[in-house]
Amino acid sequence: MSDLVLQHYLAVGAILFVIGLIGFMTRRNLIVMFLCTELMFQGVAVNLIAFGRYHLAESSQSFFASQSFVIFLLVIAAAEASLALGLVVLLFRSRQTLDAEAWRELL
Amino acid sequence: MNHLFPIEHSYLIPLLPLLGAVISGFFGAKWLKGKSHWPIWLGVGASAVLAGWLMAGMIQHAHAEHHGAIWLNQNWYNWISAGNFSANVGFLFDPLTAVMLCVVCGIGFLITVYAAGYMKGEEGYFRFFAYLGLFIFMMTMLVMGNNFLMMYLGWEGVGLSSYLLIGYYYQRPAAREAAKKAFLVNRIGDFGFGLGILLIFLAFNTVGFFDGGRGDLGVLRLAASNLADLSAFQVEALKWIPFLLMLGAFGKSAQFPLYVWLPDAMEGPTPVSALIHAATMVTAGVYMIARCGTLFVGNTAAMWTIALVGAFTALFAATIALRQFDLKKVFAYSTVSQLGFMFVGVGVLAPVAGVFHLVTHAFFKALLFLSSGVVMHAMLGELDMRKMSGLKRVLPITRWLMLIGCLALAGFPFFSGFFSKDEIVAAAWARHSLLGLVMLFTAFLTAYYTFRLYFRVFEGPLVQPQAPVPGHGAHDTPAAHSTDMAPDAHGANSARDAAAAHDAHGAHGGHDSHHSHEPALMILPLIVLALGALLAGYLNWPEYHGRSWSLGEFLGQSPSLRLAHTTAVARLGAGEIAPVPFGQPEITDARVVMQQQAFHLRMMIISGLVSALGIYLAYLMHLKDRAASEKLARRFAGVARLLEGKYWVDEIYQNGIVEPLRRLAKAFYAVDRYVVDGVVWLIGFVPQLAGFSIKLVSQRGYLQGYATWMLFGVLVILLLVLW
Repeated sequence: MSDLVLQHYLAVGAILFVIGLIGFMTRRNLIVMFLCTELMFQGVAVNLIAFGRYHLAESSQSFFASQSFVIFLLVIAAAEASLALGLVVLLFRSRQTLDAEAWRELL
Repeated sequence: MNHLFPIEHSYLIPLLPLLGAVISGFFGAKWLKGKSHWPIWLGVGASAVLAGWLMAGMIQHAHAEHHGAIWLNQNWYNWISAGNFSANVGFLFDPLTAVMLCVVCGIGFLITVYAAGYMKGEEGYFRFFAYLGLFIFMMTMLVMGNNFLMMYLGWEGVGLSSYLLIGYYYQRPAAREAAKKAFLVNRIGDFGFGLGILLIFLAFNTVGFFDGGRGDLGVLRLAASNLADLSAFQVEALKWIPFLLMLGAFGKSAQFPLYVWLPDAMEGPTPVSALIHAATMVTAGVYMIARCGTLFVGNTAAMWTIALVGAFTALFAATIALRQFDLKKVFAYSTVSQLGFMFVGVGVLAPVAGVFHLVTHAFFKALLFLSSGVVMHAMLGELDMRKMSGLKRVLPITRWLMLIGCLALAGFPFFSGFFSKDEIVAAAWARHSLLGLVMLFTAFLTAYYTFRLYFRVFEGPLVQPQAPVPGHGAHDTPAAHSTDMAPDAHGANSARDAAAAHDAHGAHGGHDSHHSHEPALMILPLIVLALGALLAGYLNWPEYHGRSWSLGEFLGQSPSLRLAHTTAVARLGAGEIAPVPFGQPEITDARVVMQQQAFHLRMMIISGLVSALGIYLAYLMHLKDRAASEKLARRFAGVARLLEGKYWVDEIYQNGIVEPLRRLAKAFYAVDRYVVDGVVWLIGFVPQLAGFSIKLVSQRGYLQGYATWMLFGVLVILLLVLW
């Protein structure tokens, strides 16, 4: 078995992203759709950290930059998740359903 | 002369009235209210004192200089500097400026005093005085400016003030229309003036009068140089400049094609009619031609145009005045006619006579207008002379004042108008005897219509307008005699005028019931003006030619007139020059002086007789046998109708110019509305339609749909990047 290389990580990121994308496109439950966006997000994060790990020398000053960037990104994602879930709750309260179709007339 | 206080601080002369205008304009509505005239009184009064002081200093200086030209150019700051164009804010002081300033500020002050009495209790009292201050500011700028741009600034400024003051009773449609008419007609003239200034700059590369502002010579001195020294373009320009400037003068001074605004301007309050539309603003054209004499005199065609237009206007307006029944309308046409006299004066190379008539006319016409204001006040806003008679019993002082004014206007011997009009007639006669005859005949008509008015209104049995106007209920009117009056031939018209006049004074309610018909505040300035109307003629007593205190000698020391004289002599030869004092004190040849005096004496006797004849005819027709004039009018019904209809010039303009223009405007509007707007709308509609159709496909409210489009977009970008 060969060593792990960059391409492996990228493949994991891409798979995560595509799963998220397909989920987003096919599901109509707001919470599930939201979870799918989070999946896509994490796919991108994996990509980022993989590039950081492989392209920057360990001695370089910005070696940890990519990793701290991803942590920063996760924090933002968490904040965003709390906001989005709050919104979803509000939407549910006004329509008594989580179906995205219920908000069609907002077009 | 430099150290004279009014010259050292010359900026005070225009600024003080402006300051007064600002104070009463901004603080009048809330705080000053009925005291709003004080800032203007103080400001204009102070300017009048400064103008008098300037005049005194100037006269002393003129004595010291003997017959040399005296002038002082004073630049305060550089106003505009762009490329090789430069214009300063600066003043020019010479005898002509001093005379004009004394007229503007002196008579302006008297009229502001009168206005405080006349306008008492009017709505917007402060507004009136603020406008008046603004007017004096602009007028002083006009006469003091040392370059064409300053003059143009003042020129437009007085037009604006005139517009504001004519439209003072803006609630009345007639006043609004009159204000618009005055403004628009003046714009036609000002357009010519503006083009003239542009051409002057193109040809002479400066707009300064005597001093170019950058150490070079001004236009008037350049234009006075030998023709050989001028470039071909400059010579060519000198053919056109006078005509363009003349157009401005005709507009502002209400000469023939553009006179129509002045009679309508009588919709404004009477003090405005007196100040702006009789004494000062309308004489700006005469001042301009006198000031720019050097540009004009070399151009015989232009001079003849001025003289002929002036003569025609004088005669034309005088005939209209014969059949007007509104006091102010008579004086309005009389003003147009007298302005025609002044234009003849400057047109026949006798600017001194023109300016002299300007001065005397300012006195007596202001007096006449203000006196008719007193009549209007006492007669509850009535101005129709068919509805009043024998008013000397009600208005004893006004009657004498009016008589003095009428005698001066009629040119009765030894009143001011006599001397000045005589000089113009003499000068016109010397130019061409036919021109002189026309002027004499006009003088006869002037005497006749003036005294027609006087005899009708002040002599004969007492008749007063009866029906008290609502709002004047408090007036204790003596029971009016309802005797027969002239048949109301022009009923509809006069009724409208009368109604307008009533409106004007509608705000006068609440007067206490025992006030005099002749309030002191209104009579005192009139007495001063009457003294002027009596005595101003002696300013230029022709026999005292040799003495250096006559107006002619003094004006002759103005560089404008002096240069114009030398230019005229150089270009036309001495024979062309009118034998009246053209500010040429160097005529020492006793024989020439004697000839001139004899000529003058003959002229004076003739014009005195003509005036007396006019008055006598008026006496026959309008006092002795009042039915006679109506009989005559019925005999020549067509002529009477023509005169009452003012030759239908207004109608001709309306149908010949205004209506076609309006139709053209409508056509343009339609093109703009449907063609241009249509194209613009179509151009806007294409993307709108495209957006709408795409929206139908793409924006359907499905979250997944949006995501698909996003994905599609990302793919396209990816494709482009990877390509």
